[in-house]
Amino acid sequence: MSATQFTGEHLWPGQLGHFFVIVSFVAALVSMYSYFNAVRHENDPALGRTWLLLGRGGFMLHTFSVISIFFALFYIITNHLFEYHYAWEHSSYDMPSEYLLSCFWEGQQGSFMLWTFWHAVLGLIVIKTAGKLETRTMAVVALVQVILTTMILGIYLGPDIKIGSTPFLLLRHAMQNAPIFAMPNYMDFVKDGNGLNVLLQNYWMVIHPPILFLGFALTLIPFAYCIAALWKGDYQSFIKPTLAWSLACGAVLGTGIMMGGAWAYESLNFGGYWAWDPVENASLVPWITLIAGMHTLLVFRSTRRAVIITMVLLLLTHLLVWYSTFLTRTGILGKTSVHAFTGDGTALTYHLLAVIGLLLALSIAALAIRWKGLPRIKTEEATLSREFWMFIGAVILFLASVQISVTTSIPVWAPLAKWISGKDFAPPTDPITHYNNIQVWVAIIVGLLAATVLFMKYKDTNGKKLAKNLGGTAIVALVLTGLIAWGQDIKTWQYDVMLFSACYGIVATIYYGITVQKLKFSKLGPSVAHLGFAAVMLGILLSAYNKHAISLNTTGIPFNFKKNTDHETMMENRENVIMFRGVPVAMGDYFATYIGDSDVAGKDKRIYYRVAFERKDTATNTILERFMLYPDAFINPKGQQGLSANPSTKHYWDRDIFTYINSATDKSKTDTSTYRSHIVQQAGDSIYLANGFMIFNGFSNQVNDRRYQPKEGDLAVKALLSVYDKFGVKKDIAPIYILRDKQYIMQVDDTVTDMGLYARFGALNVHSKDSASVDIQVRQTDPMDDFIVLKALVFPYINVLWLGIVIMVFGFFISLGDAVSRKVAGSQVS
Amino acid sequence: MVAIAVLISVFGDFSSYETFASAAKEPKKSYYIIGTLDTTQGMQYDPRVDANHFTFFAKDKAGSKNKVIFNGEKPRDIEKSEQIVMMGYMDGDTFHCSKIQMKCPSKYKKDQIAVGNQG
Repeated sequence: MSATQFTGEHLWPGQLGHFFVIVSFVAALVSMYSYFNAVRHENDPALGRTWLLLGRGGFMLHTFSVISIFFALFYIITNHLFEYHYAWEHSSYDMPSEYLLSCFWEGQQGSFMLWTFWHAVLGLIVIKTAGKLETRTMAVVALVQVILTTMILGIYLGPDIKIGSTPFLLLRHAMQNAPIFAMPNYMDFVKDGNGLNVLLQNYWMVIHPPILFLGFALTLIPFAYCIAALWKGDYQSFIKPTLAWSLACGAVLGTGIMMGGAWAYESLNFGGYWAWDPVENASLVPWITLIAGMHTLLVFRSTRRAVIITMVLLLLTHLLVWYSTFLTRTGILGKTSVHAFTGDGTALTYHLLAVIGLLLALSIAALAIRWKGLPRIKTEEATLSREFWMFIGAVILFLASVQISVTTSIPVWAPLAKWISGKDFAPPTDPITHYNNIQVWVAIIVGLLAATVLFMKYKDTNGKKLAKNLGGTAIVALVLTGLIAWGQDIKTWQYDVMLFSACYGIVATIYYGITVQKLKFSKLGPSVAHLGFAAVMLGILLSAYNKHAISLNTTGIPFNFKKNTDHETMMENRENVIMFRGVPVAMGDYFATYIGDSDVAGKDKRIYYRVAFERKDTATNTILERFMLYPDAFINPKGQQGLSANPSTKHYWDRDIFTYINSATDKSKTDTSTYRSHIVQQAGDSIYLANGFMIFNGFSNQVNDRRYQPKEGDLAVKALLSVYDKFGVKKDIAPIYILRDKQYIMQVDDTVTDMGLYARFGALNVHSKDSASVDIQVRQTDPMDDFIVLKALVFPYINVLWLGIVIMVFGFFISLGDAVSRKVAGSQVS
Repeated sequence: MVAIAVLISVFGDFSSYETFASAAKEPKKSYYIIGTLDTTQGMQYDPRVDANHFTFFAKDKAGSKNKVIFNGEKPRDIEKSEQIVMMGYMDGDTFHCSKIQMKCPSKYKKDQIAVGNQG
């Protein structure tokens, strides 16, 4: 093919961007090599120092390049350079500017870039703070950066082997076979990009991914410190930084995961904040192993026990982040996940498998080489020691992560299982019960342990004192459990046990914080974090146990231990209700009425549906409460037919009412109503409507309407009409009648969308100088043609859950502050 | 010990991908069936009668066609789907389905839309 000279392209931002991709790769490589040599020449201060400085320089150049790549891509997106595939695929002109940033992380390459960016920033902090461990830790960080940058290299080794994919790919290269790219001026035809998936056009999309990726990135640092400790054979100096970084990671990753939950709850119609979806699970599992590893690290700090399990858990945490990338990015979950991630072909699959293999081999090798020298204590722990129960807790958490991983990974191991057993494995048909059967017990045990171990001491605990503290706590918790179980009607005994565990946790942590820690702020971290965990448990239990669909108008328990027959499940799932415009439907304590949709589709083609909720006193028939909800939907969003809905929620302190649209009429297709004439003569004449009436108030020639552009020689009159709906609410409208050049008649209709009413000034008949009659033509869409299918759910006490998360994260940060300010690493704590 | 007990209970819950014929061997037990929409036969959905009742025909991997009743609203772009994963059970000659997940081809991207009643 001869080189066509294309016009209208802007090639320099892409070339610059790609240049920085290569620089960042090479710089990371140089940094890694230099840090490695700095370790080798540790005993030669001058040479070691030179390599160290080279390593730092390389890493800084790497960081600078990563930021430059960001700016190059950002320039392409903000300037709508659709000759680039990334901009064309993820952005469009009509996209609100706040979402331009979210284009970055919608795509594969952008999210790898975000991840690389956070690693680079964290690397700089490690350089500043790691001291003697810098060389080894940074060698590992730089190695991972080398690996990550290969993900966006986009170079070909031979015709079929591609390493990574560049975000600066040109559209014409991405779709080489499309005939349009044979034309040199093809850019004249590429008018707009695909835009962001409408489901993702939400402020959560702006803040959730950066935080989640920061959480993922933070797992690298404990990983790197563990490798560094093994490498050096020094198991003391790594404790303090590893603990601090693990705490930071626990806080940020925890926040990121729950932001995902809040996003799902607030604006996606999954019907809740957690669905045990594979993508959600994939981010939860590393968090669980991190928390387990963090606690065994505390055990190691105080007792010199549990170093192996600590290493395994913290190394595994970072590997699991890579594995979660593998699950969510390669499309392997295609059959089982709701999330619309798509595969990037087999190249990415093998690439990620190679990375996981490499990092796994590194971890195993480091552990194996040092295996004999790892500190061990021969004696058994005392049964009443803190370390014993913390260790049990870590094992339970690990088992929880195993269950989630095995189930989530079904598509990974199913082909092998089919080959062995002939059975084609599928996920459980009732995933919620499947997970609850295990995870509820995990929560119960971990909840009890988290509160109890606070009162225990390392090495051994005074049994009598412990029994006194815990006995009192248990009695108070039991009373609280009884009250809540009675008030909330929680009858399933397993959930009563869970409720007790949560109450026990809340009582114990508050008691401990006040009486034992005397509210000394810097030490409050563990009790606050554990209090948060207990509150999360309580919030999950209360909101999920009594979650019910009021659109169904009966209370169904959505999850329980006894397995429903499938038929029962289906009946419970009949939660959708049809609402015709103007016809009230009973929903729980409320009457809900669909009033109409928004006048015009917004800039983003979103339609809001107005649903009025009223609560009445049945005796006196007075309205006690009235509020509006505006669930919205995109009808036929780009590239697909159908409906993409966002919920609308009414928040009370003790419950949420959560609604979303499942189906709605496509107005452009179904409206078959026609105009009917009504002659009015005098002000005060009325016209009767299907659901109200209209009063003619006379004429006006003061026509200032943006829908009408006056012209020389026009005669323009508007009819002043007042429309009263059946509630007596008045709206004024003014259809316009125009006579242009004494021969052309034009009309501008006016509408009352609530009532589906269209009014037209049909004709003006002048009888005499003082008398004229008007033909007002009225069209009303049949309410039966205008309906929505709605689902309304009530989540009681969901605020307890959100509050619990905030408290827990706050606890992490208090502990982080304490860990950073601690003078001597490894000092004894009581 | 505990670990083994956990693993066994985990595996016990797993379902499998079946065909209409194999699912019919155990009526009223839930399975997943992968198939395609049978466009030669009509589908029925009238939300005015019942917003939770959608009837269509699907063809499974073995090529056999079967009537499917979905307890939910009609997925709007099911006509365009190139693959549907249905979860449900056989009762008589009808497959009762409570969850549908579809793979839809769009112009350049492959998108998936899932429709289900439970999360």
